[in-house]
Amino acid sequence: MDVILGLRVADATIIATSKAATRGITVLKSSDDKTRVLNPHNLIAYTGEAGDTVNFAEYIQANIQLYSMRENDIELSPKATASFIRNQLATSIRSRKPYQVNVLLGGYDVASNTPTLNWIDYLGTQVELPYAAHGYAAFYCTSLFDRHYKKGMTVDEGLELLKMSLKELEIRMPLDFKGYYVKIIDKDGVRDAGSL
Amino acid sequence: MADRYSFSLTTFSPSGKLVQIEYALNAIKQGVTVIGIKSANGVVLATEKKASSNLLKTENTSKIELITPDIGMTYSGMGPDFRVLVDKARKLAHTNYKRIYNEYPPVKIMVQEIAKVMQESTQSGGIRPFGVSLLVGGYDAHSDRFQLYQVDPSGSYFPWKATAIGKTSVSAKTFLEKRWNENLELEDAIHVSLLALKESVDGELTGDNLDIVVVSDPQEHLLGFKGTSVEGPRFKKLSSEEINDRLDSL
Amino acid sequence: MSDPFSLNGGSAVAMVGKDCVAIASDLRLGNQSLGLSNNFEKIFQFGDKTFLGLTGLATDVITLSEVFRFKHNLYKLREERDIEPKTLANLVSSTLYEKRFGPYFVSPLVAGLDPKSNVPFICGFDSIGCIDFAKDFIVGGTASDQLYGLCESLYEPSLEPEDLFETISQVLLNAVDRDALSGWGAVVYIVTKDKIIRRVLKTRQD
Repeated sequence: MDVILGLRVADATIIATSKAATRGITVLKSSDDKTRVLNPHNLIAYTGEAGDTVNFAEYIQANIQLYSMRENDIELSPKATASFIRNQLATSIRSRKPYQVNVLLGGYDVASNTPTLNWIDYLGTQVELPYAAHGYAAFYCTSLFDRHYKKGMTVDEGLELLKMSLKELEIRMPLDFKGYYVKIIDKDGVRDAGSL
Repeated sequence: MADRYSFSLTTFSPSGKLVQIEYALNAIKQGVTVIGIKSANGVVLATEKKASSNLLKTENTSKIELITPDIGMTYSGMGPDFRVLVDKARKLAHTNYKRIYNEYPPVKIMVQEIAKVMQESTQSGGIRPFGVSLLVGGYDAHSDRFQLYQVDPSGSYFPWKATAIGKTSVSAKTFLEKRWNENLELEDAIHVSLLALKESVDGELTGDNLDIVVVSDPQEHLLGFKGTSVEGPRFKKLSSEEINDRLDSL
Repeated sequence: MSDPFSLNGGSAVAMVGKDCVAIASDLRLGNQSLGLSNNFEKIFQFGDKTFLGLTGLATDVITLSEVFRFKHNLYKLREERDIEPKTLANLVSSTLYEKRFGPYFVSPLVAGLDPKSNVPFICGFDSIGCIDFAKDFIVGGTASDQLYGLCESLYEPSLEPEDLFETISQVLLNAVDRDALSGWGAVVYIVTKDKIIRRVLKTRQD
């Protein structure tokens, strides 16, 4: 029941993830960061089966970093990164014990100066979208995004829309998510936009 | 110590040659001559079927084999090696092509598959190269043309208009250079192949001591069934009567 | 509920006209009832005049489109020519049957013209590669029942390219409107001997 949200604006991608780490009805931690920085312009946010999530995200992180080490500090583009993650999950789904991890990939393509947001589920379904979410949050947030999202929004407008969605989640969902971490990926790389 | 390593029999000699391949080529040069001639409406493969004794039954031994319904193959060199390659080629035609695309491989692809088998035997441990040169003739449906290839023990292959391999290949090729032209018809090609063989065979040419295959028009009567869109095989072996008829008019 | 064929939704249809073929699909990608994307193409081109439509589980649609792009590229290198629609159809069939006991959850369609003779060809498959050779039309996806109904009532043989476009578009649009898992935009390809026409249709977004 974690919340992970993503929103692509004019020159950045914004990712928000809930801070609560829960097991059953118990909140284990209220400062859990469900993201990993893959390279300077790629951030992965994840939800799913407890052990699988961090293991998978860090496996992806290691491989993306290995790529840069081997390839003379070249960053793997968001498109290629998304493809790599999809491929891992699509292979895993037909294995004896598949990874049960859903992810959002926020990226900024330095070559074409375009922000991207990729939605990838545990089956290996991958789509590039303007806004996306996994889990129950998707039902509430996507309808709000449908209504208020506009092409070419600024980061501030994006953050406003994000706040609106998170507020809606608080109203409509029966859980306390213990707040959210917000990350922004733009031409300068990944940066922390504090917590909400 | 030596048996701890499984070196290829074809390791480079200090002078940079692969002597095993040269030996194979020498073996082929001793072999019975085989002629291949391409014409506009068919390709001919022809060779002498030599019997070392008149007690041997020759009517059901065959030196030119069907690989696919549109591709035939023959050889000069070691007979048993040829049989192995025929089996492999027939199997590859199915596993690597027909069972994937539900159609038979084009001649060039079939030749590449065979050449791959032969090349691999020059780079693997513990085995010797194949002691044969092959002539592969067939029909290519996509270009609507007939093709003729030679494949050597090294795995190299060449497309020909007409060629010969074996004992008298040099003189036979000189002969073919003079007699081959673009306007050659299938019957002319058979005629030329008999003339070329005549030079290399000591003794009389007969329908019983020759093997001739043509790949030309589809032979519906050889298909064995009717009522489908399947074309008949283009591979046709000439009977000793058919060969004798042509020898008479030589 | 958890049928892999209807998890993501999506539909496709192909038709034969006079010296032409048409293939069309919707653009929706969803997760059960939740629509995710209205820009998820399910038709892929192989060579000049051959197309493959893939509906079903989206991860397998992506995987197979990549598998066939790879196999087609190798084919072009080896054969030095474009693949024929019927050869692609047999390649699709053998590729799917290779996974007979753990299949890809897709219903593919092939539509195209023979590169040399320009004879129209269409066919469909089940998820393990059994080919359904059809003379007239072939359907696939979550709205396949509706597509069959509309094809049976609207299709007529030997339509000119523009008339075929109108027919296939109406068939697709009206079929997906009666399917909650299909729609959200559509794309139509008309294949004739000298040109390919691609049209993205404006459709209702609900």
